[in-house]
Amino acid sequence: MSFIAIAAACLAVGAALSLVLPNNRSRAAASIASQLIAMVLVERVALPALLHGLDLRAVMPWSYPSENIAAHLDSLGAFFLAWSLPMTALGTIYAVDYLRPYEATRNAGVQYALLNVTALSFLMIYTLETATAFLLGWEIAAVAAWLLVIWDYRNQRIRFAGFNYLVSTHVGFFFLVAAFMVLHSRTGSMDFGAFGSALRTPGTLRNATFLLLVTSFGLKSAFFPFHTWLPRAHSAAPAHVSALMSGVIHKAGLFGLLRFTLLLGEPEPWMGWYLISFSALSAVMGVLYTTAQRDLKRMLGYSSTENVGIAGIGFGLGYLGLAWHQPALVVLGFTGGILHILNHAVFKCLLFYAAGAVYRATHTIDLERLGGLAKRMPWTAGLFLLGGLAISALPPFNGFVSEFLIYAGLLNGAVPPGLERALLISLAAGLAFVGGISALATVRAFGVTFLGTPKDASVHVSGDAPASMRLSMLVHGGGVLALGLAPAFAIRLVEQPVREFAALLRGPSVAATPPVEVIQPVVWAGALLIGAVALLLAVRWMLTRSAPVRQHVTWGCGYAAPSPRMQYTGASFSSRFVAVFESVLIYLERKKLPEGPFPEANSHVNKHCVDAVERRMFEVLGEGESVANRLYERVSVAPTYSLGLGLAVLVVVISLVATAGGIP
Amino acid sequence: MVIHVAVLLGLPFLLTGIINRVKAIWGGRKGPRLSQGCFDVLRLLRKQPVYSSVTTPVFKLAPWVILASTLVTGLFVPLLRDTAPLSMNWDVVAVLYLWGLGRVAMMLAALDTGSAFEGMGASREATFGALVEPAIFLAVGALLATSGHTRLAELVHVGVMAPGRVLAAVGALVALALALLVEASRVPVDDPNTHLELTMIHEVMILDHSGPDLAALQVASAMKMTLFAMLIAGILNPLPASVGPLAVAAVNVALTLVIAIAVGLVESLIARLRMVSVPQLIAASMVAATIAVLGTAWFAGGAR
Repeated sequence: MSFIAIAAACLAVGAALSLVLPNNRSRAAASIASQLIAMVLVERVALPALLHGLDLRAVMPWSYPSENIAAHLDSLGAFFLAWSLPMTALGTIYAVDYLRPYEATRNAGVQYALLNVTALSFLMIYTLETATAFLLGWEIAAVAAWLLVIWDYRNQRIRFAGFNYLVSTHVGFFFLVAAFMVLHSRTGSMDFGAFGSALRTPGTLRNATFLLLVTSFGLKSAFFPFHTWLPRAHSAAPAHVSALMSGVIHKAGLFGLLRFTLLLGEPEPWMGWYLISFSALSAVMGVLYTTAQRDLKRMLGYSSTENVGIAGIGFGLGYLGLAWHQPALVVLGFTGGILHILNHAVFKCLLFYAAGAVYRATHTIDLERLGGLAKRMPWTAGLFLLGGLAISALPPFNGFVSEFLIYAGLLNGAVPPGLERALLISLAAGLAFVGGISALATVRAFGVTFLGTPKDASVHVSGDAPASMRLSMLVHGGGVLALGLAPAFAIRLVEQPVREFAALLRGPSVAATPPVEVIQPVVWAGALLIGAVALLLAVRWMLTRSAPVRQHVTWGCGYAAPSPRMQYTGASFSSRFVAVFESVLIYLERKKLPEGPFPEANSHVNKHCVDAVERRMFEVLGEGESVANRLYERVSVAPTYSLGLGLAVLVVVISLVATAGGIP
Repeated sequence: MVIHVAVLLGLPFLLTGIINRVKAIWGGRKGPRLSQGCFDVLRLLRKQPVYSSVTTPVFKLAPWVILASTLVTGLFVPLLRDTAPLSMNWDVVAVLYLWGLGRVAMMLAALDTGSAFEGMGASREATFGALVEPAIFLAVGALLATSGHTRLAELVHVGVMAPGRVLAAVGALVALALALLVEASRVPVDDPNTHLELTMIHEVMILDHSGPDLAALQVASAMKMTLFAMLIAGILNPLPASVGPLAVAAVNVALTLVIAIAVGLVESLIARLRMVSVPQLIAASMVAATIAVLGTAWFAGGAR
């Protein structure tokens, strides 16, 4: 434990140094050096705790507001610590070259200091077990992230995105404080251990606290109806901040969920179903929005909502396993879910870094304007493709491993036959749907940005990513490959944390198959695939080596005057898909059409997919009355609406009567 | 194992041959030899490829990734009896995602040419692929749930199970049959004979491929259809395993050929759907699969 305290002090010193040192180079050096030292110190404690399941506790005397501050490092906290700090350090390294264009004019020291503070807040969140101190860490992370987002504060849009984030994260904070207040009133203590004993007593208070906690952590991790701040903040922030927010900082929300699951003990089945439906909704809605964005980073932001949803499905499955006393589901659900958190952090940071490299080289991330970057930026293109394949959960990359474990749980024989099994099979189909759409989104993002020919002649490409940015991307790319090709190693990383969840099972239970054996098809499929590709390429080489490679223009199907503008853009690629889901994906359209036989004025069409939740919220806030009036008019005129309303009223009446115990 | 691989490599040519022959006979023509597909591929293998100057290595690599992923899935799918060379728990997930990898490689190669036509094909493939995947999952999931199995290979015996599970089996079969038409790019979803129509999907994505690359794509596409057909045949197969592996395998192959004839008849009799109606066809497949899943719940609920 003392190592962590020293690491925290080291990070604080690093932050102070990056504020006071004279030039940006030395500020970056101070920040990176302090983070690396802290990382080594933390890993010395976290890795043994993670791999051997140590349980370290320490109590610091503290006078106010609680008598002391308890620190506790179990394998779950160690798991999160083990990759959060290195990834933050990688983000800081990436920032060195990313922020270089601003070097002469801006003081980047604040950014470096805030990155240090973020790492410091991880130390607090993942180890402290006293509610007040935990909340302090929680707030430090939120405020640091906000300040990091508004780096380009002169832009009004970016300030708005920053405030949007700040407000959302504080709404979540209120829910968390409310939950802690409930627990404090029950126990008279601020200690998580005492909270745990209160949470284990079944009753209305337990249920209410569970809902408060899930809402709060859901806001932090951007689950579906609470996600609106995320795409805004992610497209506004510098690339390394987007990457860290999406990959690392938000994972604090999922950590909170897991930490309180451990305290909750054995959940009731409805909690599992609630978590599963909440997460499935997030996954589907998040991925639907990825197909319609024209801003690359906004699209990646929505895919975070999708991926926390997938991890949440794993946790929900684990909840159900705990409630049904099925260790197979507990192990598969939590292994898949926790592993997906790590996988998401690895490939999402990679994708954001690659998107940042595109932005740095072209000064735009608008899918409608980019094209043909693969030849100018081969490193970035290759790494983006790697991350994209991983995020679509395609074998043999790391996203597939965790999703496979979740599938294995959903299609498991341990699920009770009947309605439960039917529901979980449908959920597996839903996950397949999410996978299919995310493949579409990947192909769209990669194909439109990097393949084909440049569409907009006004976009200049200054070259591939500089050294420090490339280093961060390569490390993350290596992570994608390592976790995907050696799933046994990946599972080893989450084995101890999952054991903590399996220990929550009470009563007799059958032994579960270890996930390492479940993952066999993945190992085989990956190895065979690589072998087959190598073999076929060798065959192809044998066949074609005799003649020189002939090149020609793309066949235009007889059309003689092709132009790069004729290529499929992001919007045209997804238009057919979006047309199927037009009720959810709302487009705002601004257009000025050509007029007259010889139009002289410039005409344009500008379509933009807006967030339905946000749109509706603003609609209700701004013109609630007119919306209600319009609805009312529709109801009185259209028969389908009035019929639907009548049915809804009937259902409400019947359910009220039924819950009241029938008509007396 | 050896027979499995031989069937995996040989049957696709026969299958496309049968479909083309059925279409020709129905149209009053004599039709090509049954082995014509084999000669086409051999001829393509001897040619030198031409690459578009726009393309990147993605374009050269894609056909071989597609073929490799299809070959690997061929080792997981039971072709002849209730075993496959590689049969493991939940291999169905690996198979579907490997097909997904092939699909992504295909779309990326199409976008790599920078051609408006190929972009169009990729866009359609992406849309229909994303919609049909859950239907396949529901159908296979229903079958796995009724039988309580977790491997694709064990689905072969689903056909001989208790009458109470018929609803699930029939729903899943309908769903899979419709999915086959979508996945194999057949009429009424796509027309494998046209190359320059605005209504096509698969053929438009391979416009710029040539030589061995084109051969790989055609083999992969025929192989994927064969795998689908043999999966359906395995489910339809009424023989129990006790009859002996040889009889089961023979019936499987026969049923596959019947499916090929059925596909040929469908192609001869039905016109291509308008592109906007394809999602409705996929929705029909989804509904059938949902009925299958609900059927499993119903009968399991009754049995309790």
